[in-house]
Amino acid sequence: MKPAPFEYHRPTTVAEATDLLAEHGDAELLAGNQSLGIVMANRLATPDHLIDLNTVDDLAFVEEREESVAIGAMTRHRTIERSDLLTEKLPMLPEAAEQIAGPSVRNRGTLGGSIGEADPAGNYPAALVALDATLEIVSADEEREVPVSDYFIAYMFTDLAEDELIAAADIPTDPFPPERTGMAFLELKPAAQTWPTVSAATAVRVDDPDADEPVVEEARLALANAADVPLRVEDAEAAVEGESLSEDALEAVAEAATAAADPEDEMHADSEFKVEVAGEYARRSLAASYDRATNIETDFDAPTDH
Amino acid sequence: MSTHEITLTVNDTEEELTVESRTLLVHALRDQLGYTGPKIGCETSKCGACTVTLDGDAVKACTVLAVQTDGSEVTTVEGLADGDDLDPIQESFHEEHALQCGYCTPGMVMTTRQLLEDDPDPDAEEIRHQLKGNICRCTGYQNIVNAVESAADKTEGAAESTDDAEAESPPAKADGGEARSDDETPHAEDDGR
Repeated sequence: MKPAPFEYHRPTTVAEATDLLAEHGDAELLAGNQSLGIVMANRLATPDHLIDLNTVDDLAFVEEREESVAIGAMTRHRTIERSDLLTEKLPMLPEAAEQIAGPSVRNRGTLGGSIGEADPAGNYPAALVALDATLEIVSADEEREVPVSDYFIAYMFTDLAEDELIAAADIPTDPFPPERTGMAFLELKPAAQTWPTVSAATAVRVDDPDADEPVVEEARLALANAADVPLRVEDAEAAVEGESLSEDALEAVAEAATAAADPEDEMHADSEFKVEVAGEYARRSLAASYDRATNIETDFDAPTDH
Repeated sequence: MSTHEITLTVNDTEEELTVESRTLLVHALRDQLGYTGPKIGCETSKCGACTVTLDGDAVKACTVLAVQTDGSEVTTVEGLADGDDLDPIQESFHEEHALQCGYCTPGMVMTTRQLLEDDPDPDAEEIRHQLKGNICRCTGYQNIVNAVESAADKTEGAAESTDDAEAESPPAKADGGEARSDDETPHAEDDGR
């Protein structure tokens, strides 16, 4: 089973790539080829032109900025998984990356590919929504920045125009000083090469990690595959903010996540089951984030392995 | 139809070939160059039977376009053994009966290579985590995990015994020489498949 024929282009700069996009309206961008390759092998996509971004070195980087970390679109899962900077500043991202498929796929797949594909079950879309990232988008004519909350519009439908490419994601670090922050990316997945059934991306910042009862100053929760876009659940965040984490607050998190979730049925998980998992994984993931943010012993049922 | 002249190095041999844009690396290796070690399983990145090393990284050759590998170095399972001397990972798969039909084995071995490069002493849980992208339909996973553990012991052990040999070389050599003598019955004809 081979892809249908196409013209292959190998630009080496972003400008060359965007010029090619402008020239060929029906072109697809080729990133890690771990999803597009499969879609094309099944002839579900038959683009006439493929623009390979693997030789655009300027798109592969992890860079510390003043109050953020920027990740280039062609940064591979393996790089994100092993980045010391991300492990220190935004540990949700390495944890999300290391759970994607197996190592051979992580050697090829990229951040930009995942965001471009915009499958609501994807790991990075949910993580970036939880972390309030901004996408840097480029075309031959302009550069613009789009908050991820505006980028994901509907199922695999985004704000990206035909002639644009994603250059990078900029992720704020100032809300989350590492010494009093915990993050978690928890997913339920039946097999390595499948999309997760539901995932919960969470972050928690406390006032004082050494206090007897550290107070949650800020919480984040985004769910993957619980709706047609990655789903931020602000009601759940509000339920835990302003107090020390309690079983009651976690119960409220689960209820808010359950109420917000509106997933489609799929072959191995009907909608009802996914809603239930959304609530439970929201609860567990937030408990794990709180546990990681604090230096106290917590006894919430919060599995941190996967 | 769009074609490309590419040059790639496969198992230290430079190969020149003409590929279509759409030719997958696994098809170029098998059909055009005759490296049939990488197997075709799912052709959709799920099963891992086609795993090869591309510039040092394990990849699934069904989701890499051949044209993308112009100028790259590829290692297939054929590149591991030195004549009849199996690579330690292959040897461990053989000893631990880590194959039944053998179809997944080249991919398992190539993935194991990267696994042990990244982590020379993995525990069983880590091995299972890192082999998640390779499927064995005979479901012989237990022996595969055993083989990887055994290969890790060998490579770790090799590193240790090299150290030992440097520290106290004469006695170590005397012992090794005797043990080796009755183990020299190669089964070259056995290997019909």
